[in-house]
Amino acid sequence: MNDAVRHSPGLWALAWRRLRADRVAMVALAIVALYLVSLLLSATGVIARHWDAEVGVSYAPPSFLGAETAAQRDAPRIKVPPAPPAENPRDPLGPLLKRLRAERAAGQGGIDYYGIQDPLAGDITKLRAKLRAEPDAGVAKKRATLPFGADKWGHDIVQKTIKGSETSIVVGLTAAFLATLLGTLFGAISGYYGGWVDDCFNWFYSVFTSVPYLLLILAVAAVLHQKGVLTIVLILGLTGWTGVYRLIRAEYLKHKQREYVLAADAIGASHASRMFRHIFPNVSHVALVQLSILTVAFIKSEVILSFLGFGVPVGVASWGSMLNEAQNELILGKWWQLVAATTAMAVLVTAFSVFTDALRDALDPKLK
Amino acid sequence: MTAYIVRRLWQMLPTLLGVVLLVFVLFNWVGGDPAYILAGKMSNPQQIANIRAQLGIDQPYYVQLWIFLKQIASFNFGASWSTGETVSHVLATRLGPSLTVLVPLTVMETVIAIGLALAVAYVRGSLTDRMVMIACTVGMSISILVYIIVFQYWLAYKMGLFPVQGWGDHFFDNLFRYSALPILIGLVVSIAPDLRLFRTFFLDEINQDYVRTARSKGLSEPRILWVHVLRNAAIPIVTYVMSNLPSLLIGEFLIERFFSIPGIGREVILAVERSDFPVIKAITVYVAAATMIFNLLADLLYQAIDPRVQLK
Amino acid sequence: METKPLLAVRDLRVSFRVDRRQPGFEAVKGVSFDIPENSTVALVGESGSGKSVTSLAILGLLPPENATVLPGSRILYGGRDLVGLAQDELRELRGRDISMIFQEPMSSLNPVFTVGYQIAEVLRLHLKLSPRRAQARVLELLDEVGIPDPLAKSRAHPFQLSGGQQQRVMIAMAIACNPRLLIADEPTTALDVTIQKQILELLAALQDRHRMSVLFISHDLAVVGEIADRVVVMRSGEIREQGTTDAVFRNPQDAYTRALLQCRPPLEHRPQRLAVIDDFMGSDKPPGAPGERARGLAGNEPIILEVRGLGKSFYSRQGLFGQREFKAVQDVSFKLARGKTLGVVGESGSGKTTVGLTLMRLHQATAGVALFEGRDLLAMPNAEFKAYKRRIQIIFQNPYASLNPRFTVGQILTEPLAIHGIGANDAERGALVRELLARVELPEASYHRYPHEFSGGQRQRIAIARCLTMKPDILICDESVSALDVSVQAQVLNLLQDLQDQFGLSYIFISHDLAVVKYMSDQVMVMNQGEVVEFANSDDIYLRPQHPYTRKLLAAVPRADHRIRAA
Repeated sequence: MNDAVRHSPGLWALAWRRLRADRVAMVALAIVALYLVSLLLSATGVIARHWDAEVGVSYAPPSFLGAETAAQRDAPRIKVPPAPPAENPRDPLGPLLKRLRAERAAGQGGIDYYGIQDPLAGDITKLRAKLRAEPDAGVAKKRATLPFGADKWGHDIVQKTIKGSETSIVVGLTAAFLATLLGTLFGAISGYYGGWVDDCFNWFYSVFTSVPYLLLILAVAAVLHQKGVLTIVLILGLTGWTGVYRLIRAEYLKHKQREYVLAADAIGASHASRMFRHIFPNVSHVALVQLSILTVAFIKSEVILSFLGFGVPVGVASWGSMLNEAQNELILGKWWQLVAATTAMAVLVTAFSVFTDALRDALDPKLK
Repeated sequence: MTAYIVRRLWQMLPTLLGVVLLVFVLFNWVGGDPAYILAGKMSNPQQIANIRAQLGIDQPYYVQLWIFLKQIASFNFGASWSTGETVSHVLATRLGPSLTVLVPLTVMETVIAIGLALAVAYVRGSLTDRMVMIACTVGMSISILVYIIVFQYWLAYKMGLFPVQGWGDHFFDNLFRYSALPILIGLVVSIAPDLRLFRTFFLDEINQDYVRTARSKGLSEPRILWVHVLRNAAIPIVTYVMSNLPSLLIGEFLIERFFSIPGIGREVILAVERSDFPVIKAITVYVAAATMIFNLLADLLYQAIDPRVQLK
Repeated sequence: METKPLLAVRDLRVSFRVDRRQPGFEAVKGVSFDIPENSTVALVGESGSGKSVTSLAILGLLPPENATVLPGSRILYGGRDLVGLAQDELRELRGRDISMIFQEPMSSLNPVFTVGYQIAEVLRLHLKLSPRRAQARVLELLDEVGIPDPLAKSRAHPFQLSGGQQQRVMIAMAIACNPRLLIADEPTTALDVTIQKQILELLAALQDRHRMSVLFISHDLAVVGEIADRVVVMRSGEIREQGTTDAVFRNPQDAYTRALLQCRPPLEHRPQRLAVIDDFMGSDKPPGAPGERARGLAGNEPIILEVRGLGKSFYSRQGLFGQREFKAVQDVSFKLARGKTLGVVGESGSGKTTVGLTLMRLHQATAGVALFEGRDLLAMPNAEFKAYKRRIQIIFQNPYASLNPRFTVGQILTEPLAIHGIGANDAERGALVRELLARVELPEASYHRYPHEFSGGQRQRIAIARCLTMKPDILICDESVSALDVSVQAQVLNLLQDLQDQFGLSYIFISHDLAVVKYMSDQVMVMNQGEVVEFANSDDIYLRPQHPYTRKLLAAVPRADHRIRAA
């Protein structure tokens, strides 16, 4: 008899095979892996450590655009409304203003300090003289252009984006993990035992789903005053378990009736054994796909929360706060922060979504 | 039927109670002492004690809970902490603008998504199908914030096609001028996920046996899709749209904020920024009640369009 | 002198693939046969034979993403080749010249439209009838297919009708435009045997009255023998034999056909062992039938299980506070003798499966006692019942659902040993498992394989092995062979019989298939709607049925030598 045991492929091996054959999915997986690698590197400080150093001039354009010329810098960016007429016949202060302007032109008048001396006046005059002499003393040389431009404070956008990805991905993954864990546990217990246990969890579920998701997040954000990654993770995780719960509960209800579970009961397997040894391996792929879907949703939610100011505190880089700044910059014609944050997020979310779809198909193939 | 409705309403009570408890725990317990927020930066202990007495938070918890329950039952939540408007007035006046954007948006979005999804289902498996799905995935990966920022900048500010922000006094003015760009953005953002979901519904139906029977009868593909499949897929579609409505009301909040539309969503954000607890509490409880009622309506509607369902 | 056939299939080859990335395999490998006018041709074969694919190919209903009709195939009808015909021309033929009915009537009808609407649809499409004329014709058709109260039923939705009525509606839809050919793909497989008889008679009557041809696809040779003029036997995508029914049944040329004919347990006698396909395929000599097996109880055998007054009711909510009771099993009593088999027979809804599940305490009984070694199994507390669990075991119907897809066969078989503490350590348990695998004739390498790699019959053997690990006294076989092909059925039945002979197991054999039950059982209990209708030795039941329901059941059993002739 041939003793070389041929291990036949189980579900995961088969799914991996199918996944590997899908080239698009592999590309998506590679992209996600790239982001994760950059996350590790930036979290450990290997790259983007000094993202908050002000290395560029304010709103430095990207290198491929070239530095701002003096003319561009001074040109008015905002449509300046036409100047009002010099004389407004209905202005009640008109005569007074006319008199003051005449005094000013004549060199008289001015502000009356009532004899108070500015205690710093002498020091300031000295400093001004010094600066005129050495314009570049003590000031670090600021670059006119950066690889993808700078924000208002001169931070390098590329580094800022990389650092921002850290927040989004960590929040997304951790919150998704928490939500999936809770949802799976509750769903398993609820679906398997049924009866009053099920009613209890269902009540819990109804309460949480009656309040629209965003409202719940905002309400919790309103009361939890300290900001930070942990807060957002808790908010998202503790409110996002409902979808997973419903799915896993439905799966457990379905599998509980299946003959292999009845057979397990017939041979004497205990409740715990049936729930976790028998049924769980048959539903774990559902939980995995949900984990993936939730990660995407939470990354997007984190961006919105950060944008609104309920997310990470001010000193921490995040895509949401980048978009917040981008709002005002756009009117000034500075689009690089917007594009950087959007592209980084879009690529990650697209890659993750594509990978999730492919994962779902690989684990549970249906005829299309 | 009546027995079913009565039973459902009865079953809603524990859930509503649970929501009330949740809101109460969040705001009256976790939320901390609002007296400091209201008193402002500089205040003395006397002022704080006064405010506490006014708000009733110096009472033990169960008394506070009882007060809260009474408020809900009598629809009187007191006044907003920041503007002094009565909360009921706040809710009543903000609902209109939200609906002016929400209703046309939902109708258009559903109709367009159904049409597109049917078209995609017709050519399933082809290159067009895959391209459309990829476009949807990419479209969904861009944050709604970006759409709002970019559209507002391009179409309203640069090209002047729409007003950048604002809201007017007259209904039609609001509907056609001020709501146009918000509705457009809402459409762009929500068509992609709807299309994907509806496409799944249609494909599930296309693989059913009755479609094979319809083909064996000699019916044309368009008729099969538009009459047989759509009628069956309408069931999950309607359920989805109905149960989504309450969350759409709040979900619009970003659009309302950017466009300064005085709706419920924007009100929620303002209330959260200002820690205006009465407003947040009231909105949460009412929206929760609305969600439950909408779910009941959805189930009743479900029974009307799916002959197999018998409500017990 | 050969008249032109109505439809001629020539050299049909169909390639199938599960999805875009897998290579295809040939499901149909060059099939040629004729369908003459005004006659019934049966396409017979087991699962995987390609018979359904062939029938779908005729009307071009194969899903284009998965199936391709290979070039060189021809399907000739009315002077045209249906393969490669333009879609709109094909659509004109469908429902009008050639129509089709399917196996599952419930899912084949659109659930949201009324029955009348669906029948009228085909009338309005092909015959261009006005709504009023269509409605009148619908009522005529419903009457013709034997549906009582046609007006009310035409306004009903499919789920409101019974399985038999749904199939009649499908038939009405199919014959509405007076087609020349009706393709019937396993139309009675999902129906109870008494309903099956009615539908077969209806089809024969319609075929005669409308002078149309019928292509009848089935796996059941007995049914085929009752209604077909010509028979085409298929296996693995090829035709093994074809000819007139008489010729094929009386004088089968091909070994496979012979095997198929012999593998079913006959009603008239009871061979010691059932013949299996391998007995025929190896040599040309027919297998020796080494005598008959005697069955039946004399009345003095030791009793291992006594059941008295067993009842099980299910409750559903009604109104605001009320409950509705559904009595699945009512007042069932029997005695099971040691080493013997009790057969439980009935149609769907008779409660036979519920009896088995209740005895296992997988459902909780509402009433009754089950005495085993003097103790009532149903009343014991859970902790006490654990010790008895291994003494009474069950084999389920669905071989694809009764094994955990994530466990290897080794894990499935070792688990009961571990739970009940059989075997001192892993090595001993492994050895026991391997021994069992050999006993049920599965290769030793199965130990590390997953269930999805095995066929239906092999999976049932794994399920049997799982029960044997605990050396039970009583084995409940709940429709254990109903989902298997005929040839595989015979193997599993032989295995079960061998085990009973060797270990003295007592069986409760539940099935809707009377021939199988009669073959396996010493005593037979006939159930109808939850109650026991008749109880006697198996030979007596078949030779001298007392109760009218038993007689009706026996009359409905298809027999190859009875031809249904239209009145």
